[in-house]
Amino acid sequence: MNDQKGRVSLRSIEKNFGDFRALKDIDLDIEPSEFFALLGPSGSGKSTTLRVIAGLELPDNGTLTVDGQDITYAQPGERNVAMVFQNYALYPHMTIEENIAFPLKMDEVDKAQISDQVQEAARKVKIDHLLHRRPGQLSGGQQQRCALARAIVRQPRLFLLDEPLSNLDAQLRLETRIELRRLHESMDVTTIYVTHDQEEAMTIADRMAIFLDGDIIQVGTPDEVFNHPKTMDVAAFIGSPPMNLLNANIENGGIGIAGVDALLKPPRDFTGTELVVGVRPSHIRLDSDGIPARLLLSENLGESMLLNTELSDGQIVKLRLPEVRRFSPDEMLALRIDADYVHFFDAKSRERILTGDTRKD
Amino acid sequence: MSSHKTSQRRRTSLLYVVVAILLISWIFPILWAVVVSLKSETEVLAYPPRVVFEPTLKNYNDAIFSSLSIVPSFITSFILSSLTTLLTILLAVPAAYAFARLRLPAKKSAGFYTLVTQMIPPVGLVIPYFLILNQIGWLDTYRGMVTVYLTFSLPFAIWLMISYMEDIPREMEEAAYLDKASRLQTLWYVILPQVRGGIAVTTIFVFLNAWNEFLFAVQLGGNNVRPVTVAMYNFVSVEQTLWAQLAGAALLAMLPVIIIGIFAQKQIVKGLTVGAVKGGGRQ
Repeated sequence: MNDQKGRVSLRSIEKNFGDFRALKDIDLDIEPSEFFALLGPSGSGKSTTLRVIAGLELPDNGTLTVDGQDITYAQPGERNVAMVFQNYALYPHMTIEENIAFPLKMDEVDKAQISDQVQEAARKVKIDHLLHRRPGQLSGGQQQRCALARAIVRQPRLFLLDEPLSNLDAQLRLETRIELRRLHESMDVTTIYVTHDQEEAMTIADRMAIFLDGDIIQVGTPDEVFNHPKTMDVAAFIGSPPMNLLNANIENGGIGIAGVDALLKPPRDFTGTELVVGVRPSHIRLDSDGIPARLLLSENLGESMLLNTELSDGQIVKLRLPEVRRFSPDEMLALRIDADYVHFFDAKSRERILTGDTRKD
Repeated sequence: MSSHKTSQRRRTSLLYVVVAILLISWIFPILWAVVVSLKSETEVLAYPPRVVFEPTLKNYNDAIFSSLSIVPSFITSFILSSLTTLLTILLAVPAAYAFARLRLPAKKSAGFYTLVTQMIPPVGLVIPYFLILNQIGWLDTYRGMVTVYLTFSLPFAIWLMISYMEDIPREMEEAAYLDKASRLQTLWYVILPQVRGGIAVTTIFVFLNAWNEFLFAVQLGGNNVRPVTVAMYNFVSVEQTLWAQLAGAALLAMLPVIIIGIFAQKQIVKGLTVGAVKGGGRQ
């Protein structure tokens, strides 16, 4: 439909708010038709990046191009991008119909055509029966759909969504997530999606950029960021619960944790590095012997169990059991780490050195 | 349970008593004026005041048709108040928008300066204004009076409008910009409709302030521009005060204020509370 349009490139984008460096040096390439998530905690720069793309903030440095055209300093209205705001930003004095029609009216589209396009956009997000109401008379979910309809009605080359689901309740959020993905597939427009919810990004996005303190620390597919986190920060952010990061020591050629020596065989010589071992909760199992750990809390998730345990040196380890069992409080357990899925990080640089299963990277 | 009920009832009746006292103390002077306006001048001076008397409409007749008619002043007041209100709204709305939204140099100090003008006692300004208007030949003219009225109505209106503007979420404007609306279109289609209540309230307050103004009018006006407040003052003279006629004229002068109050009551309450309800101004 759009002939593969909507390629976004950010080069050395910097943005300061007073002394606060919101974006430090952002380089990012987003492919045409991609559903791309900007993921990170609040204040990490993901929303600022989106606002720079929208033209609502101008960067202090760097360039922004869409389909090869430099739009770093173009007016928001000249960019042909549509945005859905976290609070939807519907115009309360206009009906839903007038809200959706507003971008077309500003674009001086023919009146008869406006009515058709509004109908079509409203039908796509299933609010065509609400056109004569005002935003105040709609539920949160319906308001959100209205905001979506206003965004899709003029067929922009970029779709910008700023935490669009965060004001919805949990159930509705799950449903809308699926619908957003479907909508994206039917429209085939590059979509940039800001969220602080890693699960949302993992399930909905083709690729994502993970932001921290104004920097992008990793760009990749959900699979890549999950299985090959570039830094300890990514590892600690992705997954629910995220990866355990355990301080380890190297003695007599073996890797030890919490006073237990030679738990893992180092895949290469780590002498001289301060080592952190990363292991996902599902890659730790209970065994007859292993690292001794005291049970702090067991959470029954229905099909599986989440255990919070404490090692002898005070480090907390979370593990996921595939089955539900009974535990007594403060029970002593023995943990065994699955060596094939262990990640090794350098505690100083916080970067991943290598991952157990591939052994070659 | 029942004691709780009685204590609640007692509290309610106490509330009624307080409200009644307040209402009576507010309404009494007006009622007194109504009574006086229906008496003859001799009846007014009768002591003790008589409750039973023969009412007359002569005072109203005089106030409207005699040589002391206040009708021309009425028209003057109307022109003066309307012009002041119109200019104030035309200037204050964009100014308030600028204060609320634009990144302006010296915005804070400009805002403070605007506010300071409200703190100076008007009586301290009468002489300077008189000298200035005299100097440029604007004494006893509409342009002179309106200019002076703007000096206090504008800051008031700007400050009132700023709070209404600031209540509108910024994202609403940003959404409009992304939808290709210019700043002026955004102001017209998105901002102004949402501050209608604020504009209505500001209009009413500015109009009433101008209508009720006396101090500047008596000093800076004259035979050409004599608003109704000053005209009424003419009933009070050194030799005698025509109380009954004054009461009649005063009630007539109050009429527009009362009418506006009754009709705009809903608008005023809505306008004053609009900022309190967040989340998309339910209609």
